[in-house]
Amino acid sequence: MIEAPLQISLEAWDEAYESSGAFIGRETCYGGSLGRHVKDGNTRLKHLLFDNSFAALNLWNFLLTEEDRLYRARYEGKILVGTMKDLGTVPVIAYAFPDVVAFYPDGAWWIPCLMEADEELLSIADNLGVNDSFCPVRAMLGAFVSGEHFPVPDILVCSVGATCDDFSAIAQRVEGLGHPLLWWEIPHRREPGAREAAVALPGGTKACVDQVEAVMVELDRVICALSDKAGVKLTDSMLSESIVHANKVRACLMELRHVVFTAKTAPLPSLELLVAEMMGLHYCSDRREVLSVLSGLLETVKRRVDAGVGFQGPEAVKVFWVNPVADLRVMNMLEESGGRICGTEYLFTHALDLIPTDLPAREALARVALADPMAGSALDRAARICNDIEKFKAEAVIISRIPGASHCALEGEVIREVVAACKNVPVLEIDVPSMCDTFQETLQTRLGALVETVREQRKGR
Amino acid sequence: MYYAGVDVGSRTIKVAVIDETGRQGIASGICDQGVRQAALAHNLFDQVLTRAKISRQDILRIVATGYGRNAVEWADTTVTEITCQAYGVRQQVADVRTIIDIGGQDSKVIRLDERGIVYDFVMNDRCAAGTGRFLEIVAQRLEMGINDLGGIAETAVRPSIISSMCAVFAETEIVGLLANEESPADLAAGVQRAVAKRMVSMLGGRINGPVVFTGGVALIPGMSRALSDALDRTIVIADTPQTTAALGAAMIAGAATERAERSNRPVSAGAHYLEGIR
Ligand code: SF4
Repeated sequence: MIEAPLQISLEAWDEAYESSGAFIGRETCYGGSLGRHVKDGNTRLKHLLFDNSFAALNLWNFLLTEEDRLYRARYEGKILVGTMKDLGTVPVIAYAFPDVVAFYPDGAWWIPCLMEADEELLSIADNLGVNDSFCPVRAMLGAFVSGEHFPVPDILVCSVGATCDDFSAIAQRVEGLGHPLLWWEIPHRREPGAREAAVALPGGTKACVDQVEAVMVELDRVICALSDKAGVKLTDSMLSESIVHANKVRACLMELRHVVFTAKTAPLPSLELLVAEMMGLHYCSDRREVLSVLSGLLETVKRRVDAGVGFQGPEAVKVFWVNPVADLRVMNMLEESGGRICGTEYLFTHALDLIPTDLPAREALARVALADPMAGSALDRAARICNDIEKFKAEAVIISRIPGASHCALEGEVIREVVAACKNVPVLEIDVPSMCDTFQETLQTRLGALVETVREQRKGR
Repeated sequence: MYYAGVDVGSRTIKVAVIDETGRQGIASGICDQGVRQAALAHNLFDQVLTRAKISRQDILRIVATGYGRNAVEWADTTVTEITCQAYGVRQQVADVRTIIDIGGQDSKVIRLDERGIVYDFVMNDRCAAGTGRFLEIVAQRLEMGINDLGGIAETAVRPSIISSMCAVFAETEIVGLLANEESPADLAAGVQRAVAKRMVSMLGGRINGPVVFTGGVALIPGMSRALSDALDRTIVIADTPQTTAALGAAMIAGAATERAERSNRPVSAGAHYLEGIR
């Protein structure tokens, strides 16, 4: 029998956990009740609603125990690679080495939300001159100074160039604090000229051969630095094996997304899907276990779809979501307003696309790196969003802006214009800082109005 | 039998009651917003009913809207002001395609298609730029009432250029302009233009007519002209610009009841006016 899918509070989860023996024998080393993470300071969990499946509990537990895994890796003498900004490419290289663990210090941008403590990390950044005119990823700077949220990596590798100005500025400040960074450059991806040889990139964009070669040279520098640190020479077969593993994770996520977006009734809430997608970037510091967590989630979702059960009725409005949110609570608000997730573009679609296996491994990775939505024009992002709106039959688009993030001010309008022109669906832009409590009503009104607008449109058809 | 709409806005509360045809307005009322908004809304509702000589039992259904809609616990359901505004304005200008609503603390643009259905909207409810509050701050600084701004703006010779849309910065700018001996008339006209320009940017170049102007600011003399000049097109002020959202809420209450009757289903408290919503 399938348990009816529900979104439940932390309290309800803990009660269910206590009263049910269903988890015994299935639990992992990072298992336990959700409530225990509140004791670790993640108080925001008290204000969220969670999927009631065991697979979702596993997902949350895996996410919220990453810090433990990192400290354990340090204790075991593994090399810790802090990979910054590129989202998805450098971890594939890092995990090709034995006894190397990669993670994103960037992930600290969720700490002010999860710990409901803007004051700490963000005010450290403020005091260092990186104030709220910057992206909330500046929390990472505070985390480096406080030294409390992750062990200081043995090596820091940061992409720069076409990716993100805010991040480069913040990362330079990290370097200024005495943490040397290996910078590698991604050029701005441009349409190949008439006389230039073009290559296809994962996700449907193109770049000229020279650009791919330039990125290969940059990635070689990264490979050399990591080889030196790990004391192991990286062979092509090691890299290919890492790509095969990355593709397993990506394939699992692609299938999960497809099943969720195309199901008749929503089989997974938007919040859990966001967390799952994020895990594809660096495997949440455990390359083997992440596959088991994500496969478990996929299995649950498929079972629900087969049984025809979901969180909302089939009338829920299908929403395509652009950009990740700094406050996780906002994802819950989508379902509360009568919407469901039906397409996402969280700025790292290139980390969900399969890495080509019919190319030399380094070239394949260079192509994936160049496919980064941040490396190309906003029009490329908009085109992919339009394709996916079509594919998943989304009825509305939400562009959540990240306050302070320099690209948001420019891209939002471009994406909005393109989507409105070619897809004729309503587009809503919202600002989502790390804590939205003070203007929750404003957000509810906007999301509610979007849902009502789609329902009115349906009635008129 | 009657239907009612309650619009709990940021600066004022509005109530509208319509008859059972779902079209004819019977009574309406407005009061200022305050700390105890639920009680204020309740008092206003009672006053409107007393004035119209109808009892609470005669009201078949109530829809609450506006930013404080959730405070109206005695309403049958809530609907956002975007949808309500569209229903209310459509009742007054049947072929409306764009609604510009400037309230006390927010402003919005609502676009409707040729069937009169909303297909897009933009809201500013997080800062005072381009709202009634902005005009109020300026009027205070010029030592006049907000309703006098329009009259004095008529006599402007060279409207001032206000470059800042932030209410706080604009106030500083106005102090500077006054020190430079710019006339209050030029300043008043400049400020009205600045608000109108802000709305033009919210419209983002996409505008279809007829354009209807609603919200408390529509009642300020000179504002619709400033808007019309900035957009270079005719602007119609709604018949009752402050209460169109409340009127729309009442119409939605009526429409939901009618639909339920047609399908022989009772309209339960909390049921949504749109079919199929949970
Ligand atoms: S969210 Fe945007 S601004 Fe912030 S680090 Fe990421 S890409 Fe840069």
